[in-house]
Amino acid sequence: MSSLNKPLIIISILLVAVAVAFVLSWQTVAQSVGYTDLTRALTTTTATFGTLIGVITAGLMFTQGAFSRLASELNEKSPTYLTEVLSLEKIQSIAARLAALRKTFTQFASTTTVKEERDLYTRIAIKASDLFVDFAVILKLKLRQQGLPDTDLLVSEMDSTLYDVYEKTRRDIKKEWQLLNIIKRIVDAWEGQTAFFLETTSKPALKADLKNSIAILKLKEKVDQGSADIAKNTAKTLNEIDDEFSELSKRFHEDRIPQLLSQMVQASILRGRYFYLTLSFIAIPLLVNLIILPQLSQATATFFQPIIWATSLLSIIGVVFLFLYIYKILNT
Amino acid sequence: MKKSAEERIKRLFAEYPYPPIDVIIPILERAGRGEKELESQIYEIYCNLAKGIKEIMSLKGNNMKTLARVWEVATSAEGMKMQPLELSESKFSFSITDCPMIHVGKNVSTNVKGKFCDIVCTAGSRALMDTVLAPHKGICAWSKTLIKGTGKCAVTFELVKAK
Repeated sequence: MSSLNKPLIIISILLVAVAVAFVLSWQTVAQSVGYTDLTRALTTTTATFGTLIGVITAGLMFTQGAFSRLASELNEKSPTYLTEVLSLEKIQSIAARLAALRKTFTQFASTTTVKEERDLYTRIAIKASDLFVDFAVILKLKLRQQGLPDTDLLVSEMDSTLYDVYEKTRRDIKKEWQLLNIIKRIVDAWEGQTAFFLETTSKPALKADLKNSIAILKLKEKVDQGSADIAKNTAKTLNEIDDEFSELSKRFHEDRIPQLLSQMVQASILRGRYFYLTLSFIAIPLLVNLIILPQLSQATATFFQPIIWATSLLSIIGVVFLFLYIYKILNT
Repeated sequence: MKKSAEERIKRLFAEYPYPPIDVIIPILERAGRGEKELESQIYEIYCNLAKGIKEIMSLKGNNMKTLARVWEVATSAEGMKMQPLELSESKFSFSITDCPMIHVGKNVSTNVKGKFCDIVCTAGSRALMDTVLAPHKGICAWSKTLIKGTGKCAVTFELVKAK
C-alpha cells in the first residue's frame, strides 16, 4: 500500500484508467445496445452513484467538522510552546548539546572497528542531527513569531544534507499547529514511545542509546585504564538534555497533544487523497449521467451510448478507489 | 505496586541501566580482555538495583522470599517473562524464555555466548544474593538452555546451608 501513496503512481493509475475507459467505450460504439437497456443502465448507475455520493458527502461533512475542531484546539495550544515552554536560551542550549553529541559520536563511529558498536554510535549521531534540525526549525518559528531577526545561528552549523532536511521540515509547516508534530517527534526520539517499562517501538530512543553508549565507554575506560572523562561528560550531557526535555515532555502529555495529533492523523486520512479520488471519480460521471438522462431518447441513444459506457467505466474506477480508501482507513 | 512505587522503580532502572550485552560482547571479544571489568560493572548495577528495589518496596527480610520478590520486580521492570518453579525457605527456582544473551549476534559462537552468560549470571546473581541474603549465603545455578536453543532456561537460587 505504501507505494500507492506516491503521487506519480496515482497519476499513472488515473491516466491508465481514463485511457482504458475511452478505448473500451470507443470499441463499443460499433455494438448496438437497445434503448430500454441503455435507459435502465443509466438510471440504475445514476441512482447507485447518487446514493454513494450522498453517503460520502455526509462523511466528509462529519470529518471536516472533527478536523476543524481538532485544528482549532491544537492551534490554541501551539503558541504556548513557543512563548512559554521553549525559551530562546533553552532552544540554543539544547541545540548546542545535540551538536556536541553529534560531533563526538560521529568521531567515535569513524574510529571503531566493531560493527555493533559502530552502528550504535552512528545511530546516536544521526538522531542527534535529526533533533538538532528540529530545534533549528523551532528556533526559526520562534524568532518569526516574536518578530525578531533571523540569526541563522544553528543553520550555519549544518552541512548540505542537514540543511536540505531543515528546509524541507520548515517548508512542511503550513499551519501553526504543525509545530506540535515536530515537538512530538522530538519527545518520541528522545524518550521513545514507552508503556510502563517496555519500549513499544522497535526503534530505540536516543536516551536509551546514550545510556548504552555510556555503559560501553565506562567499560572501555576501565579496560584501557584511560580517563573517565568521555563517559562522564556524555552522562552529564545526557542528564542536562533530559532535564530540559522533562518539562517539555510533561507539559506535552498534560496537554494531551499526542492523543490530539493521533486523532488529527485519523481525520487527515479520512479526507485524504483516496477520498478525493473516490469523490471525483464518482461525482464527475454522475454529473454527466444527470445531464444525459433528460435528453436520452430512441433517437439520441446511439449518440450517447459511448459516453454512457465511458461514465460507467469511470464510476467503476471510483468504486475501486472507494475500496482502497476503506482499506486505508482499516489499516491505519 | 502503587503508582508512586512504579515511578520510583522506573527511575531506578533508568539510573542503573543494564549494559547492552549484544554490543559489549563483540567489543570484548575483539579486545580479548575486559571480562573482569564487565563482571564488576554488572555486579555494581545489580547491587544498586537490588538495594533500590528493597527500599522502594519496603522489603526488610534477608531470606529467599525477599530475593524472589526482588527478582520478580527486576524481571518485570526489564520486560522479561519469568515462570516461578519453586519457592521455599531455602530454594527459589524459575524459568525464563528470554534473556539479553539470546539477542547477541549470530556471528558470536555458542561457546563465547556461554562464557559471557556465566560472567553475567555470576555477577548478577552474586549481587542479588549479597544484597538480599548476605555475602556467601547462597549459590545460583543456570542451565544455559536458551543459548543452546533447546528450551527455557532454568535458574535456581539455593541457600548454602541447605546443601
